[in-house]
Amino acid sequence: MSATYGLYVSKQTAIHRLHPLTKLTYVLTCLLIAWIVPGVWAPYIVLLVGIVPVALMAQVFPNVVQNTIKTTIPFAISLFIVQGLFWTGGTIIQQLGPFSLKEEGLLFAIRGTGRIIIAVSGFLLLSYATRSDELMLALSQKGLPSRISYVILSTLQIIPRFQHKANTILDAQRSRGLETEGSFLIRTRALLPLVFPLLLGSIVDIEERAIALEVRAFGRSGPKTSLLVLHDTNRQRLFRRLLILVSLGVIALRIYLWLAPRFAA
Amino acid sequence: MISLSDVTYHYPRSDSPALSNLSLEIPAGQFCAVIGANGSGKSTLCSALAGFVPHFYRGKLTGSVEVAGIDTAGSSLAELAGTVGLVFANPFNQITGARFTVREEVAFGLENLGVPLAEMEPRIDEVLAFVRLTDLADQSPYALSGGQQQRLAIASVLVMRPKILVLDEPTSQLDPIGSKEVFAVLRDLAATDEATVVLAEQKLEWVATFADRVLGLHKGKLVADGPPAEVLSSLTLTKYGLEPTRYTQAARAAQAAGWRTDETTLPVTLEQAVEFFR
Repeated sequence: MSATYGLYVSKQTAIHRLHPLTKLTYVLTCLLIAWIVPGVWAPYIVLLVGIVPVALMAQVFPNVVQNTIKTTIPFAISLFIVQGLFWTGGTIIQQLGPFSLKEEGLLFAIRGTGRIIIAVSGFLLLSYATRSDELMLALSQKGLPSRISYVILSTLQIIPRFQHKANTILDAQRSRGLETEGSFLIRTRALLPLVFPLLLGSIVDIEERAIALEVRAFGRSGPKTSLLVLHDTNRQRLFRRLLILVSLGVIALRIYLWLAPRFAA
Repeated sequence: MISLSDVTYHYPRSDSPALSNLSLEIPAGQFCAVIGANGSGKSTLCSALAGFVPHFYRGKLTGSVEVAGIDTAGSSLAELAGTVGLVFANPFNQITGARFTVREEVAFGLENLGVPLAEMEPRIDEVLAFVRLTDLADQSPYALSGGQQQRLAIASVLVMRPKILVLDEPTSQLDPIGSKEVFAVLRDLAATDEATVVLAEQKLEWVATFADRVLGLHKGKLVADGPPAEVLSSLTLTKYGLEPTRYTQAARAAQAAGWRTDETTLPVTLEQAVEFFR
Protein backbone atom coordinates (compact mmCIF):
# COMPACT_ATOMS: atom_id res chain seq x y z
CA MET A 1 0.00 0.00 0.00
CA SER A 2 1.42 3.32 -1.06
CA ALA A 3 1.34 6.23 1.32
CA THR A 4 -2.01 8.00 1.56
CA TYR A 5 -2.32 11.61 2.66
CA GLY A 6 -5.76 11.96 4.20
CA LEU A 7 -8.20 12.92 1.43
CA TYR A 8 -5.42 14.03 -0.95
CA VAL A 9 -5.86 12.91 -4.57
CA SER A 10 -2.50 12.76 -6.31
CA LYS A 11 -2.65 14.58 -9.69
CA GLN A 12 -0.13 16.49 -11.77
CA THR A 13 -2.03 19.76 -12.02
CA ALA A 14 -1.05 23.40 -11.59
CA ILE A 15 -3.33 23.61 -8.56
CA HIS A 16 -1.62 20.66 -6.89
CA ARG A 17 1.76 22.30 -7.45
CA LEU A 18 0.76 25.56 -5.73
CA HIS A 19 2.16 26.38 -2.29
CA PRO A 20 -0.28 25.09 0.41
CA LEU A 21 -0.68 28.59 1.86
CA THR A 22 -1.78 29.94 -1.54
CA LYS A 23 -4.55 27.34 -1.71
CA LEU A 24 -5.52 27.88 1.92
CA THR A 25 -5.67 31.67 1.54
CA TYR A 26 -7.72 31.32 -1.65
CA VAL A 27 -10.28 28.99 -0.07
CA LEU A 28 -10.53 31.15 3.07
CA THR A 29 -11.09 34.26 0.93
CA CYS A 30 -13.88 32.49 -0.99
CA LEU A 31 -15.47 31.45 2.31
CA LEU A 32 -15.23 34.94 3.73
CA ILE A 33 -16.82 36.53 0.67
CA ALA A 34 -19.60 33.94 0.57
CA TRP A 35 -20.36 34.38 4.26
CA ILE A 36 -20.29 38.12 4.65
CA VAL A 37 -21.35 39.60 1.32
CA PRO A 38 -25.08 40.30 1.62
CA GLY A 39 -27.54 38.64 -0.72
CA VAL A 40 -29.17 35.23 -0.85
CA TRP A 41 -27.27 34.11 -3.94
CA ALA A 42 -23.79 35.39 -2.93
CA PRO A 43 -22.52 31.92 -1.76
CA TYR A 44 -23.72 30.33 -5.01
CA ILE A 45 -22.00 32.97 -7.13
CA VAL A 46 -18.74 32.44 -5.22
CA LEU A 47 -19.19 28.68 -5.67
CA LEU A 48 -19.61 29.03 -9.44
CA VAL A 49 -16.89 31.63 -9.92
CA GLY A 50 -14.38 30.66 -7.23
CA ILE A 51 -14.63 26.97 -6.34
CA VAL A 52 -15.95 25.16 -9.43
CA PRO A 53 -13.30 26.36 -11.93
CA VAL A 54 -10.46 25.57 -9.50
CA ALA A 55 -11.92 22.12 -8.75
CA LEU A 56 -12.09 21.47 -12.50
CA MET A 57 -8.51 22.64 -12.98
CA ALA A 58 -7.37 20.39 -10.12
CA GLN A 59 -9.26 17.46 -11.70
CA VAL A 60 -11.11 16.77 -8.45
CA PHE A 61 -14.50 18.19 -9.47
CA PRO A 62 -16.43 14.86 -9.27
CA ASN A 63 -14.93 14.16 -5.81
CA VAL A 64 -15.86 17.63 -4.56
CA VAL A 65 -19.42 17.44 -5.94
CA GLN A 66 -20.08 13.92 -4.66
CA ASN A 67 -18.88 14.53 -1.12
CA THR A 68 -20.33 18.05 -0.86
CA ILE A 69 -23.78 16.69 -1.74
CA LYS A 70 -23.39 13.80 0.75
CA THR A 71 -22.37 16.13 3.56
CA THR A 72 -24.74 19.00 2.83
CA ILE A 73 -28.04 17.18 2.25
CA PRO A 74 -28.87 16.44 5.94
CA PHE A 75 -28.14 20.08 6.91
CA ALA A 76 -30.09 21.44 3.94
CA ILE A 77 -33.16 19.30 4.68
CA SER A 78 -33.25 20.37 8.34
CA LEU A 79 -32.69 24.04 7.38
CA PHE A 80 -35.54 24.00 4.84
CA ILE A 81 -37.91 22.27 7.25
CA VAL A 82 -37.08 24.39 10.30
CA GLN A 83 -36.70 27.78 8.59
CA GLY A 84 -39.23 27.28 5.79
CA LEU A 85 -42.08 26.01 7.94
CA PHE A 86 -41.42 27.62 11.30
CA TRP A 87 -40.32 31.14 10.35
CA THR A 88 -41.97 33.64 12.65
CA GLY A 89 -44.14 36.12 10.76
CA GLY A 90 -43.30 36.65 7.08
CA THR A 91 -45.11 36.08 3.78
CA ILE A 92 -46.97 32.80 3.43
CA ILE A 93 -46.46 31.29 -0.02
CA GLN A 94 -48.06 27.88 0.58
CA GLN A 95 -50.27 26.46 3.31
CA LEU A 96 -49.43 22.82 4.19
CA GLY A 97 -52.06 21.64 6.65
CA PRO A 98 -51.26 23.14 10.04
CA PHE A 99 -47.94 24.52 8.70
CA SER A 100 -47.28 27.42 6.37
CA LEU A 101 -44.33 27.82 4.05
CA LYS A 102 -42.83 31.32 4.43
CA GLU A 103 -40.90 33.19 1.74
CA GLU A 104 -38.43 34.73 4.21
CA GLY A 105 -37.77 31.34 5.82
CA LEU A 106 -37.11 29.74 2.44
CA LEU A 107 -34.71 32.52 1.42
CA PHE A 108 -32.88 32.15 4.76
CA ALA A 109 -32.61 28.38 4.19
CA ILE A 110 -31.31 28.92 0.64
CA ARG A 111 -28.65 31.30 1.90
CA GLY A 112 -27.75 29.01 4.84
CA THR A 113 -27.45 26.00 2.54
CA GLY A 114 -25.25 28.02 0.18
CA ARG A 115 -22.95 28.92 3.07
CA ILE A 116 -22.68 25.26 4.11
CA ILE A 117 -22.03 24.19 0.51
CA ILE A 118 -19.25 26.76 0.11
CA ALA A 119 -17.64 25.77 3.43
CA VAL A 120 -17.76 22.04 2.68
CA SER A 121 -16.71 22.28 -0.96
CA GLY A 122 -13.90 24.71 -0.09
CA PHE A 123 -12.54 22.39 2.59
CA LEU A 124 -12.83 19.38 0.26
CA LEU A 125 -11.12 21.21 -2.60
CA LEU A 126 -8.24 22.13 -0.31
CA SER A 127 -8.00 18.59 1.08
CA TYR A 128 -8.10 16.89 -2.34
CA ALA A 129 -5.47 19.17 -3.85
CA THR A 130 -3.13 19.58 -0.86
CA ARG A 131 -1.12 17.02 1.11
CA SER A 132 -2.02 17.50 4.76
CA ASP A 133 1.63 17.20 5.86
CA GLU A 134 2.65 19.94 3.41
CA LEU A 135 -0.13 22.20 4.67
CA MET A 136 0.91 21.60 8.29
CA LEU A 137 4.56 22.24 7.43
CA ALA A 138 3.60 25.51 5.76
CA LEU A 139 1.58 26.53 8.81
CA SER A 140 4.41 25.44 11.18
CA GLN A 141 6.79 27.63 9.20
CA LYS A 142 4.35 30.49 9.86
CA GLY A 143 4.44 29.82 13.60
CA LEU A 144 1.85 27.09 14.23
CA PRO A 145 3.17 25.11 17.25
CA SER A 146 4.55 21.71 16.21
CA ARG A 147 2.38 19.99 18.82
CA ILE A 148 -0.83 21.26 17.20
CA SER A 149 0.44 20.27 13.79
CA TYR A 150 1.28 16.79 15.18
CA VAL A 151 -2.18 16.34 16.70
CA ILE A 152 -3.89 17.22 13.41
CA LEU A 153 -1.66 15.02 11.27
CA SER A 154 -1.67 12.03 13.59
CA THR A 155 -5.45 12.22 13.99
CA LEU A 156 -5.82 11.93 10.22
CA GLN A 157 -3.84 8.69 10.25
CA ILE A 158 -4.83 7.26 13.60
CA ILE A 159 -8.63 7.44 13.26
CA PRO A 160 -8.72 4.72 10.55
CA ARG A 161 -6.39 2.57 12.74
CA PHE A 162 -8.71 3.16 15.69
CA GLN A 163 -11.66 1.96 13.62
CA HIS A 164 -9.64 -1.09 12.55
CA LYS A 165 -8.85 -1.87 16.20
CA ALA A 166 -12.52 -1.51 17.19
CA ASN A 167 -13.47 -3.95 14.42
CA THR A 168 -10.81 -6.43 15.62
CA ILE A 169 -12.20 -6.30 19.17
CA LEU A 170 -15.75 -6.62 17.84
CA ASP A 171 -14.76 -9.67 15.75
CA ALA A 172 -13.06 -11.21 18.79
CA GLN A 173 -16.19 -10.65 20.89
CA ARG A 174 -18.42 -12.05 18.13
CA SER A 175 -16.29 -15.17 17.84
CA ARG A 176 -16.96 -15.72 21.55
CA GLY A 177 -20.70 -15.60 20.91
CA LEU A 178 -21.50 -11.95 21.67
CA GLU A 179 -24.58 -10.70 19.82
CA THR A 180 -23.77 -7.46 18.03
CA GLU A 181 -26.51 -7.31 15.44
CA GLY A 182 -30.27 -6.98 15.78
CA SER A 183 -32.41 -4.57 17.72
CA PHE A 184 -31.23 -1.24 19.09
CA LEU A 185 -31.09 -2.75 22.60
CA ILE A 186 -28.87 -5.65 21.47
CA ARG A 187 -26.50 -3.29 19.65
CA THR A 188 -26.32 -0.96 22.64
CA ARG A 189 -25.56 -3.89 24.94
CA ALA A 190 -22.78 -5.01 22.57
CA LEU A 191 -21.10 -1.62 22.93
CA LEU A 192 -19.95 -2.17 26.51
CA PRO A 193 -17.61 -5.11 25.85
CA LEU A 194 -16.21 -3.11 22.93
CA VAL A 195 -15.71 0.22 24.65
CA PHE A 196 -13.66 -0.92 27.64
CA PRO A 197 -10.97 -2.94 25.80
CA LEU A 198 -10.80 -0.19 23.18
CA LEU A 199 -10.43 2.53 25.79
CA LEU A 200 -7.88 0.69 27.94
CA GLY A 201 -5.92 -0.41 24.88
CA SER A 202 -5.88 3.16 23.62
CA ILE A 203 -4.54 4.52 26.91
CA VAL A 204 -1.61 2.07 26.70
CA ASP A 205 -1.10 3.02 23.06
CA ILE A 206 -1.00 6.72 23.92
CA GLU A 207 1.59 6.15 26.66
CA GLU A 208 3.83 4.17 24.33
CA ARG A 209 3.41 6.68 21.52
CA ALA A 210 4.38 9.48 23.88
CA ILE A 211 7.58 7.56 24.75
CA ALA A 212 8.28 6.96 21.05
CA LEU A 213 7.92 10.69 20.38
CA GLU A 214 10.25 11.64 23.24
CA VAL A 215 12.86 9.15 21.97
CA ARG A 216 12.69 10.94 18.63
CA ALA A 217 13.43 14.32 20.28
CA PHE A 218 9.91 15.67 19.74
CA GLY A 219 10.08 17.58 23.03
CA ARG A 220 13.34 19.27 22.10
CA SER A 221 13.18 23.03 21.81
CA GLY A 222 15.14 24.93 19.20
CA PRO A 223 15.03 25.13 15.42
CA LYS A 224 13.66 22.15 13.51
CA THR A 225 14.26 21.19 9.92
CA SER A 226 12.14 19.29 7.41
CA LEU A 227 12.66 16.59 4.83
CA LEU A 228 9.80 18.10 2.86
CA VAL A 229 10.63 21.17 0.83
CA LEU A 230 7.85 23.55 -0.12
CA HIS A 231 8.28 25.59 -3.28
CA ASP A 232 7.02 29.15 -3.17
CA THR A 233 7.28 31.91 -5.77
CA ASN A 234 7.11 35.71 -5.71
CA ARG A 235 3.97 35.57 -7.85
CA GLN A 236 2.24 33.35 -5.31
CA ARG A 237 3.33 35.58 -2.42
CA LEU A 238 1.92 38.57 -4.31
CA PHE A 239 -1.31 36.69 -5.05
CA ARG A 240 -1.71 35.80 -1.36
CA ARG A 241 -1.23 39.44 -0.36
CA LEU A 242 -3.82 40.42 -2.95
CA LEU A 243 -6.27 37.89 -1.52
CA ILE A 244 -5.71 39.28 1.97
CA LEU A 245 -6.36 42.79 0.62
CA VAL A 246 -9.57 41.60 -1.06
CA SER A 247 -10.65 39.98 2.23
CA LEU A 248 -9.96 43.17 4.16
CA GLY A 249 -11.83 45.16 1.51
CA VAL A 250 -14.86 42.87 1.77
CA ILE A 251 -14.83 43.15 5.56
CA ALA A 252 -14.59 46.94 5.30
CA LEU A 253 -17.47 47.00 2.80
CA ARG A 254 -19.61 44.85 5.09
CA ILE A 255 -18.90 47.12 8.06
CA TYR A 256 -19.74 50.17 5.92
CA LEU A 257 -23.01 48.61 4.74
CA TRP A 258 -23.88 47.80 8.35
CA LEU A 259 -22.99 51.21 9.74
CA ALA A 260 -24.23 53.46 6.89
CA PRO A 261 -28.00 53.14 7.60
CA ARG A 262 -27.36 53.80 11.31
CA PHE A 263 -25.49 57.04 10.57
CA ALA A 264 -28.08 58.05 7.96
CA ALA A 265 -30.81 57.66 10.57
CA MET B 1 29.75 4.38 28.72
CA ILE B 2 26.91 3.14 30.98
CA SER B 3 27.29 3.23 34.73
CA LEU B 4 24.67 2.29 37.32
CA SER B 5 25.57 2.85 40.92
CA ASP B 6 23.41 1.32 43.66
CA VAL B 7 20.20 1.98 41.74
CA THR B 8 16.90 1.26 43.46
CA TYR B 9 13.61 2.25 41.88
CA HIS B 10 9.99 2.08 43.03
CA TYR B 11 7.12 2.71 40.63
CA PRO B 12 4.51 5.13 42.03
CA ARG B 13 2.26 3.49 44.64
CA SER B 14 4.44 0.36 44.72
CA ASP B 15 6.06 -0.97 47.88
CA SER B 16 8.39 -3.46 46.25
CA PRO B 17 11.30 -2.11 44.20
CA ALA B 18 11.38 -2.80 40.45
CA LEU B 19 15.17 -2.38 40.58
CA SER B 20 17.10 -3.13 43.74
CA ASN B 21 20.66 -1.97 44.56
CA LEU B 22 21.72 -2.43 40.98
CA SER B 23 25.33 -1.56 40.15
CA LEU B 24 27.02 -2.27 36.86
CA GLU B 25 29.29 -0.83 34.17
CA ILE B 26 28.92 -1.39 30.44
CA PRO B 27 31.88 -0.21 28.35
CA ALA B 28 31.50 1.55 24.99
CA GLY B 29 30.81 -0.70 22.01
CA GLN B 30 29.67 -3.66 24.05
CA PHE B 31 26.56 -5.64 23.02
CA CYS B 32 24.97 -6.52 26.31
CA ALA B 33 21.91 -8.76 26.66
CA VAL B 34 19.62 -8.55 29.67
CA ILE B 35 17.68 -11.70 30.49
CA GLY B 36 15.13 -12.48 33.16
CA ALA B 37 11.61 -13.76 33.65
CA ASN B 38 8.56 -11.50 33.39
CA GLY B 39 8.65 -8.91 36.16
CA SER B 40 12.39 -9.31 36.71
CA GLY B 41 13.05 -5.62 35.95
CA LYS B 42 14.33 -5.80 32.36
CA SER B 43 11.94 -3.18 31.02
CA THR B 44 12.49 -0.94 34.04
CA LEU B 45 16.25 -1.12 33.49
CA CYS B 46 15.74 -0.19 29.83
CA SER B 47 13.51 2.74 30.84
CA ALA B 48 16.07 3.87 33.41
CA LEU B 49 18.85 3.88 30.79
CA ALA B 50 16.73 6.00 28.44
CA GLY B 51 15.67 8.35 31.26
CA PHE B 52 11.97 7.42 31.22
CA VAL B 53 12.53 6.21 34.77
CA PRO B 54 12.03 8.51 36.59
CA HIS B 55 11.14 11.35 34.14
CA PHE B 56 8.14 9.70 32.49
CA TYR B 57 6.99 7.08 34.98
CA ARG B 58 7.78 9.23 38.04
CA GLY B 59 8.27 7.02 41.10
CA LYS B 60 11.31 7.08 43.38
CA LEU B 61 14.82 6.52 42.08
CA THR B 62 17.88 6.37 44.33
CA GLY B 63 21.48 5.84 43.23
CA SER B 64 22.73 7.13 39.91
CA VAL B 65 22.34 6.17 36.26
CA GLU B 66 24.93 7.64 33.91
CA VAL B 67 24.87 7.19 30.15
CA ALA B 68 27.63 8.59 27.95
CA GLY B 69 28.65 10.82 30.84
CA ILE B 70 25.12 12.20 31.37
CA ASP B 71 23.31 11.73 34.66
CA THR B 72 19.82 10.68 33.48
CA ALA B 73 17.99 11.98 36.57
CA GLY B 74 19.60 15.40 36.18
CA SER B 75 18.85 15.71 32.45
CA SER B 76 15.59 16.12 30.59
CA LEU B 77 14.24 13.56 28.12
CA ALA B 78 14.82 16.10 25.36
CA GLU B 79 18.50 16.29 26.32
CA LEU B 80 18.81 12.51 26.37
CA ALA B 81 17.11 12.02 22.99
CA GLY B 82 19.77 11.50 20.40
CA THR B 83 22.22 10.16 22.98
CA VAL B 84 20.15 7.15 24.03
CA GLY B 85 17.82 5.46 21.56
CA LEU B 86 15.00 3.24 22.83
CA VAL B 87 13.11 0.61 20.84
CA PHE B 88 10.34 -1.28 22.57
CA ALA B 89 8.13 -4.29 21.99
CA ASN B 90 5.12 -2.91 20.13
CA PRO B 91 6.23 -1.82 16.65
CA PHE B 92 2.87 -0.24 15.80
CA ASN B 93 2.99 2.23 18.67
CA GLN B 94 6.47 3.42 17.70
CA ILE B 95 5.16 4.87 14.44
CA THR B 96 4.67 8.58 15.02
CA GLY B 97 1.46 8.73 12.98
CA ALA B 98 2.46 12.15 11.70
CA ARG B 99 4.47 11.05 8.68
CA PHE B 100 3.13 9.38 5.60
CA THR B 101 6.06 7.39 4.19
CA VAL B 102 8.78 5.18 5.65
CA ARG B 103 11.41 7.72 4.55
CA GLU B 104 9.58 10.60 6.25
CA GLU B 105 9.08 8.51 9.38
CA VAL B 106 12.84 7.92 9.61
CA ALA B 107 13.41 11.64 9.07
CA PHE B 108 11.18 12.63 12.02
CA GLY B 109 13.93 12.42 14.67
CA LEU B 110 16.44 14.23 12.46
CA GLU B 111 13.94 17.02 11.82
CA ASN B 112 13.46 17.47 15.55
CA LEU B 113 17.23 17.57 16.07
CA GLY B 114 17.45 20.29 13.42
CA VAL B 115 19.73 18.28 11.10
CA PRO B 116 20.13 20.11 7.73
CA LEU B 117 18.39 18.57 4.72
CA ALA B 118 21.65 17.93 2.86
CA GLU B 119 22.89 15.80 5.76
CA MET B 120 19.52 14.20 6.38
CA GLU B 121 19.09 12.43 3.06
CA PRO B 122 22.33 10.37 3.00
CA ARG B 123 21.79 9.39 6.64
CA ILE B 124 18.27 8.14 5.86
CA ASP B 125 19.47 6.21 2.80
CA GLU B 126 22.26 4.62 4.82
CA VAL B 127 20.05 3.52 7.69
CA LEU B 128 17.26 2.24 5.41
CA ALA B 129 19.82 0.11 3.60
CA PHE B 130 21.15 -1.14 6.95
CA VAL B 131 17.70 -2.37 8.07
CA ARG B 132 16.86 -3.54 4.53
CA LEU B 133 13.89 -1.24 3.98
CA THR B 134 15.19 0.73 0.98
CA ASP B 135 12.61 -0.82 -1.35
CA LEU B 136 9.78 0.19 0.98
CA ALA B 137 10.93 3.80 1.50
CA ASP B 138 7.87 5.30 -0.23
CA GLN B 139 5.32 3.03 1.41
CA SER B 140 3.05 3.99 4.28
CA PRO B 141 4.55 2.86 7.63
CA TYR B 142 1.14 1.35 8.42
CA ALA B 143 1.35 -0.87 5.34
CA LEU B 144 4.41 -2.72 6.67
CA SER B 145 4.42 -6.09 8.44
CA GLY B 146 5.25 -6.27 12.16
CA GLY B 147 8.87 -7.22 11.49
CA GLN B 148 9.25 -4.44 8.94
CA GLN B 149 7.69 -1.92 11.33
CA GLN B 150 10.11 -2.97 14.06
CA ARG B 151 13.04 -2.57 11.67
CA LEU B 152 11.62 0.85 10.83
CA ALA B 153 11.55 1.69 14.56
CA ILE B 154 15.21 0.62 14.84
CA ALA B 155 16.10 2.68 11.75
CA SER B 156 14.24 5.72 13.11
CA VAL B 157 16.38 5.62 16.24
CA LEU B 158 19.67 4.59 14.59
CA VAL B 159 19.47 7.47 12.13
CA MET B 160 19.84 9.84 15.10
CA ARG B 161 23.22 8.15 15.75
CA PRO B 162 22.72 7.51 19.46
CA LYS B 163 25.74 6.53 21.48
CA ILE B 164 23.62 3.94 23.27
CA LEU B 165 20.85 1.84 21.79
CA VAL B 166 18.43 0.17 24.19
CA LEU B 167 16.06 -2.49 22.86
CA ASP B 168 13.32 -3.73 25.17
CA GLU B 169 12.14 -7.14 23.92
CA PRO B 170 11.93 -5.95 20.30
CA THR B 171 10.72 -9.32 19.01
CA SER B 172 8.21 -10.28 21.70
CA GLN B 173 5.20 -9.24 19.60
CA LEU B 174 6.50 -10.52 16.28
CA ASP B 175 5.92 -13.77 14.43
CA PRO B 176 8.94 -16.05 13.78
CA ILE B 177 9.65 -14.49 10.39
CA GLY B 178 9.47 -10.96 11.79
CA SER B 179 11.69 -11.95 14.73
CA LYS B 180 14.24 -13.45 12.36
CA GLU B 181 14.32 -10.23 10.30
CA VAL B 182 14.89 -8.12 13.41
CA PHE B 183 17.59 -10.44 14.78
CA ALA B 184 19.37 -10.27 11.42
CA VAL B 185 19.56 -6.49 11.85
CA LEU B 186 20.73 -6.85 15.46
CA ARG B 187 23.43 -9.29 14.36
CA ASP B 188 24.69 -6.72 11.85
CA LEU B 189 24.56 -4.10 14.59
CA ALA B 190 26.62 -6.32 16.89
CA ALA B 191 29.21 -6.70 14.14
CA THR B 192 29.70 -2.95 13.73
CA ASP B 193 30.74 -2.13 17.34
CA GLU B 194 29.67 1.46 16.64
CA ALA B 195 27.06 1.80 19.37
CA THR B 196 26.77 0.38 22.83
CA VAL B 197 23.73 -1.90 22.73
CA VAL B 198 21.59 -3.12 25.61
CA LEU B 199 19.06 -5.74 24.53
CA ALA B 200 16.41 -7.11 26.90
CA GLU B 201 15.35 -10.41 25.39
CA GLN B 202 13.76 -13.72 26.33
CA LYS B 203 14.85 -15.64 23.23
CA LEU B 204 18.10 -16.98 24.66
CA GLU B 205 19.25 -18.85 21.56
CA TRP B 206 19.41 -15.60 19.66
CA VAL B 207 21.02 -13.75 22.55
CA ALA B 208 23.73 -16.39 22.70
CA THR B 209 24.71 -15.91 19.08
CA PHE B 210 25.67 -12.24 19.17
CA ALA B 211 25.81 -10.81 22.69
CA ASP B 212 29.23 -10.01 24.17
CA ARG B 213 27.88 -10.23 27.67
CA VAL B 214 24.72 -11.40 29.43
CA LEU B 215 23.17 -9.83 32.53
CA GLY B 216 20.58 -11.84 34.44
CA LEU B 217 17.92 -10.05 36.48
CA HIS B 218 15.60 -11.51 39.08
CA LYS B 219 13.17 -9.41 41.10
CA GLY B 220 15.12 -6.29 40.22
CA LYS B 221 18.47 -7.69 41.34
CA LEU B 222 21.48 -8.59 39.25
CA VAL B 223 21.88 -12.37 39.63
CA ALA B 224 24.17 -13.21 36.72
CA ASP B 225 26.80 -11.35 34.76
CA GLY B 226 29.25 -12.86 32.30
CA PRO B 227 29.88 -14.19 28.81
CA PRO B 228 26.83 -15.81 27.13
CA ALA B 229 28.26 -19.34 27.25
CA GLU B 230 28.85 -19.07 30.99
CA VAL B 231 25.56 -17.42 32.01
CA LEU B 232 23.24 -19.27 29.65
CA SER B 233 24.59 -22.75 30.48
CA SER B 234 24.48 -22.08 34.21
CA LEU B 235 22.39 -24.46 36.31
CA THR B 236 20.97 -21.53 38.27
CA LEU B 237 19.10 -20.24 35.21
CA THR B 238 15.97 -22.34 35.91
CA LYS B 239 15.96 -21.08 39.49
CA TYR B 240 15.19 -17.63 38.10
CA GLY B 241 12.38 -18.81 35.84
CA LEU B 242 14.37 -19.13 32.61
CA GLU B 243 14.67 -22.18 30.41
CA PRO B 244 18.18 -22.93 29.11
CA THR B 245 18.49 -23.18 25.33
CA ARG B 246 17.56 -26.51 23.75
CA TYR B 247 21.27 -27.13 23.02
CA THR B 248 22.18 -26.77 26.69
CA GLN B 249 19.27 -29.02 27.64
CA ALA B 250 20.39 -31.66 25.12
CA ALA B 251 23.96 -31.49 26.42
CA ARG B 252 22.77 -31.88 30.01
CA ALA B 253 20.68 -34.90 29.04
CA ALA B 254 23.75 -36.35 27.32
CA GLN B 255 25.87 -35.78 30.43
CA ALA B 256 23.16 -37.37 32.60
CA ALA B 257 23.46 -40.39 30.34
CA GLY B 258 27.20 -40.45 31.03
CA TRP B 259 28.39 -38.80 27.83
CA ARG B 260 31.16 -36.13 27.96
CA THR B 261 30.78 -35.70 31.71
CA ASP B 262 34.21 -34.04 31.86
CA GLU B 263 32.94 -31.01 29.88
CA THR B 264 32.17 -28.10 32.23
CA THR B 265 31.08 -25.55 29.61
CA LEU B 266 27.88 -26.63 27.93
CA PRO B 267 26.82 -25.44 24.46
CA VAL B 268 24.29 -22.59 24.15
CA THR B 269 24.26 -22.15 20.37
CA LEU B 270 23.83 -24.54 17.47
CA GLU B 271 27.48 -24.20 16.46
CA GLN B 272 28.67 -24.99 20.00
CA ALA B 273 26.26 -27.95 20.16
CA VAL B 274 27.66 -29.36 16.90
CA GLU B 275 31.14 -29.08 18.42
CA PHE B 276 29.99 -30.67 21.70
CA PHE B 277 28.31 -33.66 20.11
CA ARG B 278 30.99 -34.26 17.46
